[in-house]
Amino acid sequence: MIDLTNLLAQQGSVAVSIVLSTLAYSSPLILCALGGLFSERSGVVNIGLEGMMLSAACASALAAQATGSAAIGLVAGLLAATLLALLHWLLTQGYQIDHIVSGMGINALALGGTGLVFKSLPDINSKEMASFPAGFYYGLAWLAAAVIWWMLRDTRPGLRLTAVGNDPDKSRQMGLKPVRIRFQALLGTGLLTGLAGTLVASSAGRFSEDMTAGRGYIALAALILGAWKPWPTLAAALAFGFFGSLQLSLQGQSPMGIQIPDQVWQALPYLITLVALAGTLGKGKAPSGLGKP
Amino acid sequence: MKSFGWKQILLALAGFGLIVLALVVVKAVPQDVLAQIWQKGLTRPAGWRNILKESTPLILLGCSVYLALRVGLFNIGADGQFVIGACCATVAALKFPGPTGIVAGIIAGILGGALWAYPVGLIKAYRGGHEVITTIMLNNIAGFLTFYLVSGPIMDPTGQQPSTATIADSAQLPMLIQDGPFRVSSATLIAVMAVAGLWWYLSRTVGGFELSATGKNSNTARFAGIAVEKVTVRAMAASGAIAGLAGAVQVLAFEHRFYAHFSPGYGFDALGVALLAGGNPLATAASGLLFGFISESTSILGRTGVPKSLSSILLGVLVIVFAAYRYRKEAIVRD
Repeated sequence: MIDLTNLLAQQGSVAVSIVLSTLAYSSPLILCALGGLFSERSGVVNIGLEGMMLSAACASALAAQATGSAAIGLVAGLLAATLLALLHWLLTQGYQIDHIVSGMGINALALGGTGLVFKSLPDINSKEMASFPAGFYYGLAWLAAAVIWWMLRDTRPGLRLTAVGNDPDKSRQMGLKPVRIRFQALLGTGLLTGLAGTLVASSAGRFSEDMTAGRGYIALAALILGAWKPWPTLAAALAFGFFGSLQLSLQGQSPMGIQIPDQVWQALPYLITLVALAGTLGKGKAPSGLGKP
Repeated sequence: MKSFGWKQILLALAGFGLIVLALVVVKAVPQDVLAQIWQKGLTRPAGWRNILKESTPLILLGCSVYLALRVGLFNIGADGQFVIGACCATVAALKFPGPTGIVAGIIAGILGGALWAYPVGLIKAYRGGHEVITTIMLNNIAGFLTFYLVSGPIMDPTGQQPSTATIADSAQLPMLIQDGPFRVSSATLIAVMAVAGLWWYLSRTVGGFELSATGKNSNTARFAGIAVEKVTVRAMAASGAIAGLAGAVQVLAFEHRFYAHFSPGYGFDALGVALLAGGNPLATAASGLLFGFISESTSILGRTGVPKSLSSILLGVLVIVFAAYRYRKEAIVRD
């Protein structure tokens, strides 16, 4: 006989654990993707999200370990990411460097810089960093989506952001200053990617080399799948988070007697993005001023 | 005519400052670092052997990225195409021992790389999906796919690690020069030939002209009767083919087997190589050599305790400063 209550409880706990790990997986993606949304809706292509998130993870872990204060750790994370976001602004707007080149450069600097810091501080991992509970960040991620959605629809700065991103030339004729609006947009990018990086470090309790492991790029994919809109972007990040947690709980199992290699689950989010890009999803919805001076 | 304004100089200085700061952070003395690189890298034949060895894949991948860049495509996926090419080449070379293995391996590598890049061109040309995103996705998929292959279907049955068996000696690309510790592989010759071929293709053929015209202004190119979509797909596949060739050469000349996490991030360095080469395809050889030198230098420093992350910082600074400088030149042309 099958113990029904036991089975249900088991199923229930599986469901709860999938929900929890989906949240854990997707929250940094949501924060990072929404950070990218600010930048890209203002017309600045941003593949430097990965580097901004990574540097925030490193700075927040260092500061929180040194001071024992979660708040100081968070501030340090926000500062590090904002610094890189403003570097991206300077390079793309001041120096007119190609946005993708600037983003690649920022990622290289962040990867090298955090690696160097990590290696030259041998006792960095000796104690766990002070951090806020993960739920705090999860809440912020959803709150950010709501606020940005409202901002873009109903507020003056939000409408200006969209105007600059859609047609910088026309917005200039209207008297807007794209360079200044993009500065504000990249401040937003820095803050949100900073939150994402701090969350990544906090949930591990410490910094480790290349710990964001390409999640900045997945966040960018979520942003594109979400057609540069806050709620769809959040949904795309949730979907990636769901596949990520599914992969963990399905590893080593063979549903319906079919042995599926772990790598298939790991590759799934990337495959879905690819298929979505090849299909109609995400087509032609990009801010039309993306990458323009 | 001024080609380097104060803004650019400031950026270069900031970059230089950043590198010095990085050295200070790792408690290395800049003079010592330079002396180490000079003694162990530049004055020893073994140092030059390593520099050439490191440069070979970077030059080939630089050609790959350069070709795509000419049409205005950022082939961030050279890394994935390289890995797929290497994997295909290993399988082919293991199937055909002997000199046929070299030919089969190279063909398999080229085909594998081209096939991996083909959908990128298609999605870009007909669906408007940005190539940077699709190639990054394909890089990751290539990583998982090849990891699955080397830890299962094509794994060396006698081995413990996720790696294939070693290819036969007769299926390896031979050394051109072997003078004690100084060695030059025929792979390096292939890289040099690829640079020459790229230059010839871009400057002397109709296909190359169509490519550059599309890259300069796709609207004008369309008016001139160039099928922009087809050129985009063709360029992306060709770029992948060269990256696949780089992977094949890496296996046949240097690694002799394929293993998990095969590329140490060559694809990203290659973007730097191509950007540094600027307007002249022949310059990919020089910038590939420079990146090979940087890579070997950080290896030398690694043995004295300086982390390899330094090369990543160096790469970032180089790419940014050079991009800022190049824009300046283009701005003058435009004025």
